[in-house]
Amino acid sequence: MGKYLLRRILQMIPVVLGTTLLVYALVFALPGDPVKAMFGDKPVNEAVAAQIRAEYNLDKPFIVQYFLFLKNALTLNFGETFAGQPVIAEIGRAFPVTIKLALMAFCFEAIFGCVFGVISGLKKGKWYDSVILIVSLLLISVPTFVTGFVGQYFLGVKWRILPVTAGANPGFFDLLMPAMVLGSVSMAYIIRLARSEVSSNIALDYVRTARAKGMSNTSVTFRHILRNSMIPVVTYLGQDLGALMGGAMITEQIFNIHGIGFLTYQSILKGEANMVVSVVTLLTLVFVICNLLVDMLYAALDPRIRYA
Amino acid sequence: MSEQTNIDDKLGQLQRAEVPLLEVKDLQVDFTTDDGRAVHAVRDSSFSVYPGQWVAIVGESGSGKSTSAMACLGLLPGTGKVVGGSIKLNGNEISHYTQKEFVNVRGSKMGLVPQDPMSNLNPVWRIGTQVKEALVANNMDVSHEKRSDLAKALAKADIEIKSEGDETFLGSKQLPELLEAAEQALVAIGVEGDAFAKKMEYFRAEWVPGSETRWRVADDLVKAGVKADDAWYIAKKYVTGSSMEDRIAGLLDEAGLPDAATRARQYPHEFSGGMRQRALIAIGLACRPELLIADEPTSALDVTVQKKILDHLQDLTDSLGTAVLFITHDLGLAAERAQHIVVMYKGQVVESGPSLEVLQHPQHPYTKRLVAAAPSLASQRIVSVEERGQDASAIMEHKVNEESLEKADTIIEVSHLTREFKLPRTKDMFKAVDDVSFKLKRGTTLAIVGESGSGKSTVANMVLKLLEPTSGTVTYNGSDIAQFKGESLLDFRRHVQPVFQNPYGSLDPMYSIFRSIEEPLRIHKVGDKKSRAARVRELLDMVELPESVMRRYPNELSGGQRQRIAIARAMALNPDVIVCDEAVSALDVLVQDQVLHLLNDLQAKNGLSYLFITHDLAVVRQIADDVVVMQHGKLVEHGTTDEVFLHPQQQYTRDLLDAIPGGKLELGLNLD
Amino acid sequence: MTDITKPLPGQERYVAPLEETPLQTVDTVDESATATSMWSDAWRALRRNPLFIISSILIVFIIFVALFPGVFTKNDPNYCTLDNSLEPARPGHPFGFDLQGCDVYSRVIYGTRTSLSVGILSTLIVVAVGTLIGAIAGFCGGWIDAVLSRIVDIFMAIPMLLGAIVVLQMFRTITSIWKVVLVLALFGWVSTARIARGAVLSSKNLEFNTASTALGSTPMRNLFRHILPNSLAPIIVIATTSLGSYIVSEATLSFLGIGLPSTTVSWGGDISNAQSILRTDPMVLFYPSVALAVTVLAFIMMGDAVKDALDPKSRTA
Repeated sequence: MGKYLLRRILQMIPVVLGTTLLVYALVFALPGDPVKAMFGDKPVNEAVAAQIRAEYNLDKPFIVQYFLFLKNALTLNFGETFAGQPVIAEIGRAFPVTIKLALMAFCFEAIFGCVFGVISGLKKGKWYDSVILIVSLLLISVPTFVTGFVGQYFLGVKWRILPVTAGANPGFFDLLMPAMVLGSVSMAYIIRLARSEVSSNIALDYVRTARAKGMSNTSVTFRHILRNSMIPVVTYLGQDLGALMGGAMITEQIFNIHGIGFLTYQSILKGEANMVVSVVTLLTLVFVICNLLVDMLYAALDPRIRYA
Repeated sequence: MSEQTNIDDKLGQLQRAEVPLLEVKDLQVDFTTDDGRAVHAVRDSSFSVYPGQWVAIVGESGSGKSTSAMACLGLLPGTGKVVGGSIKLNGNEISHYTQKEFVNVRGSKMGLVPQDPMSNLNPVWRIGTQVKEALVANNMDVSHEKRSDLAKALAKADIEIKSEGDETFLGSKQLPELLEAAEQALVAIGVEGDAFAKKMEYFRAEWVPGSETRWRVADDLVKAGVKADDAWYIAKKYVTGSSMEDRIAGLLDEAGLPDAATRARQYPHEFSGGMRQRALIAIGLACRPELLIADEPTSALDVTVQKKILDHLQDLTDSLGTAVLFITHDLGLAAERAQHIVVMYKGQVVESGPSLEVLQHPQHPYTKRLVAAAPSLASQRIVSVEERGQDASAIMEHKVNEESLEKADTIIEVSHLTREFKLPRTKDMFKAVDDVSFKLKRGTTLAIVGESGSGKSTVANMVLKLLEPTSGTVTYNGSDIAQFKGESLLDFRRHVQPVFQNPYGSLDPMYSIFRSIEEPLRIHKVGDKKSRAARVRELLDMVELPESVMRRYPNELSGGQRQRIAIARAMALNPDVIVCDEAVSALDVLVQDQVLHLLNDLQAKNGLSYLFITHDLAVVRQIADDVVVMQHGKLVEHGTTDEVFLHPQQQYTRDLLDAIPGGKLELGLNLD
Repeated sequence: MTDITKPLPGQERYVAPLEETPLQTVDTVDESATATSMWSDAWRALRRNPLFIISSILIVFIIFVALFPGVFTKNDPNYCTLDNSLEPARPGHPFGFDLQGCDVYSRVIYGTRTSLSVGILSTLIVVAVGTLIGAIAGFCGGWIDAVLSRIVDIFMAIPMLLGAIVVLQMFRTITSIWKVVLVLALFGWVSTARIARGAVLSSKNLEFNTASTALGSTPMRNLFRHILPNSLAPIIVIATTSLGSYIVSEATLSFLGIGLPSTTVSWGGDISNAQSILRTDPMVLFYPSVALAVTVLAFIMMGDAVKDALDPKSRTA
């Protein structure tokens, strides 16, 4: 187990380095001079501009910039925004909101995805299986922003059950609809995954052997069919937790939630390169760490991996 | 031996006194296809099993033998349904049972030992847990043994059991104290020295917690010379029931798993196939069912392992009084193990009766055919049609081959061949093939025999130049094949062709049969389009398949037909040597026989040389002139087929020969 | 063993009458059945699948709309006057007008072409690039595989939307749809590459390749004649399904105002424009959304149907 984890962590390092380098390269290849952008309409004071360039290492070769950035990032020093705010402070404000939203979406998709998927898989061919399947197909086909608007219109405007937008300091109820919208597509995928896993596991030899032992249908279902079906579902869920953070951009935009996605989008529009790189780096790290957690969970769930 | 006969008589009387344990009458099982048609998998089949009896159902794949057995357990796969007839267990009709009702009889009354040990254990649970599930599901009392009435009746007459409590298990906590007490008891009656050590060793081996009961401990002590009262005093004091863990270990130990307590905490992937099968036997017998359904329990295992496991299973079921419904495709196995045999063909019972009688004097043409095709030690090398057509001296010639073997020139010579593989994540090298030398003479067949892991297929791959040897050489017609490159390699490939084990895998599913057979001709740029098509027709005719097969795809053909296609493809370029890697192992007996005859005819006609890789000694007897026996990568024995079969020099070869099921039985006495 | 003197009741010798159990010759070929290749099998399975029938009708219709929008509307989607702003439906304008006074119906019709071309072009590029890289990684193995797999991991770690926004930001001035197509392909090839690699790896290890090699075939010949054709099924499945998801992505990017320029008629852009009037005139947002959803649904259903038909598990191999 220890060896396996160590190997996974070592494999993680080149991915983190490569991803940050790629993002850094993409962002700093952005057209337009960020320094000039800071002066706005005022004439550019070359001396001040040079000073700023030096401060942000923009005068150095690209690869040096990247390593300096990496060095600073390790100490959580991401520099300042054009407005003079430390980047880390802005991120610190936005991150908890997104985490809250992502976790709510995660719980929503995990619970409903598994429940519906398992029911569907166990009772393949029944009418409610067909209904669940059609609904999940629809959820996959409809883009998140459309789902968002449909939710806003019906739940918020027409029936007034939930708030239409969340605003600056959202609570549980403010985030309920955004979380459902954010988790809906993944939920549909989980339904389909769980359904196909369960329905194919039912026919496996060891399930028949378990029945031949005289075990009741309930215990065969839980101990053999569901236990084994959960392995790929849990893997998907873990990877999705990282993806939810990155995918929150649309949802945060629609519901006016001041989270990390909102921040990133605004920064991109404003050309706040520093902020973009920092956020994307962080999100990538979150994603990679989630994957590592998935690997650990995977090893815990599947003894074949543990000893491999 | 008289004691044994005595028990047999008693068993017979007991069986006669009772109704059949399982009685299947006119059973019909249907499957529904996707388009709603009913397929009759089992039609009007009847058979019965008496307590304590081994009954075998024999048939080829698709004959309905497994389906019949699964219908008894209520575990028909997919759309399978019992649509007619009756299944009675202990006189109770169970064919109409709901799944809930079946739960009550499964495990406790009927156990199952399934076919494939690799897929029948859940990979995520420990072995012990999976045994425990069986005990828990049936509310088994783990401190006392539950035995069938038959076993009780048989045992009581021989060994006195004073009360029900005497079936109490030994627990692992009490074991040291018990051994100490036994030691003192032995000392007290003056047993010393070697005798003392021997007896204590016997006790240590026999007294397995969770398996050994009070009366057996007492009995052992009495047999060792301890006075009956003292023996019972010790047994009663120290044998007071076992824990769940003890019982699980005890069950696994009974099934022949060494170091059972540790093994119970491991996962299936840490077990070999044979060990998994033992665990499955332990699970099947955990709740002491009266009937055990064993569905090809050893067909995936090596012969020597198969023999050990079946011997063990037989001892175990005999002592427990468990009846066994034994599903197998192997006539020899059925003849050797079962008293009663049921032969099934295309969903119907074609013949049944006492096993030896049925197999020695088969009456139904299908049974006759099966018996005639069954390879056994008694069978001889197949003599091809052409040879048979000639006068008797020709037949003699093929047999009195030793002389001509000496004279014949060598086409492939393997000398000191060694192949090492690096073990994953270690620096250790593993010798898959270790210093193997032999010669294949032109126009003859050399068989390489060995169990899984013997390195026989690695040798085949090196002869085919699909794998480079670590050291040693393979020569073809005197030249080292390691030197072949480009043109010369292509020429070598043209003359040395393979036929692989898996008839499902060795043909590209996307290629029509025509393209598959044509492929070697295209690669070697032989002829034009028209002449190639003519050659394909010729080849199909050679392997006795109709021309219309050309337009078909591999998934439409049976295993035997695909193997014949593979042979046709190998023959396309008129090779000198064909390397058959387990080429007939996956086939049913009749089909296997057909393919072997085909290979033999082709050899006689075209003067081919075969390198025949197999694990099945009985097949070797039918096809080979020379035999090489391999074990753990090393050559164990090398000689002519007759030498090796009649006068095996090495213990391993003798073990292999002994393990051939039904090897010593003469079947089909009424056939020519 | 037990002696066999007297059989027990019910276990007497029984031989079935031959007329009830006719004997067939061993292993005959059923010559009456029609020959079926893997593709014709798949086609037969597809034809019977209602999912396939519905989705193919929809897709044919959508393609027709995209090719000949003039058949469905005579109105110019770019002709907008504020006089018509938020006017309700009237003859010739069945969906009414949006805030700028453009005809919603004709914009929905003309938007089809944009969405479909982005989806199809991205898919084509992704399949070509992904299959090539995946096949190379799977076929060559060793360090090439290791390097390519790490590159795939790196791309996988960047959320597609984030990456696309960052890159698109650089090219705000370019108005061609190729911009969106290439960006989607840049971040989309990895999943196809992964699938292609797996498919090539698994068909590489099948016995028929060894058989071909032993017949004299070269590794390259094996790759093109055996391995790639046998890896096609999963690639086709992922291609069909991802076509739908690229259409969604394009709409999402246009919705964020960073994908296609506002001069190009696109559903995503129209939905974005309509969001400010959601509370008062939801129907303006509704029509392009439905068009988008139906299109994506058609491709995803098609992907499902193709997957069922090509699933190796469902084939009796």
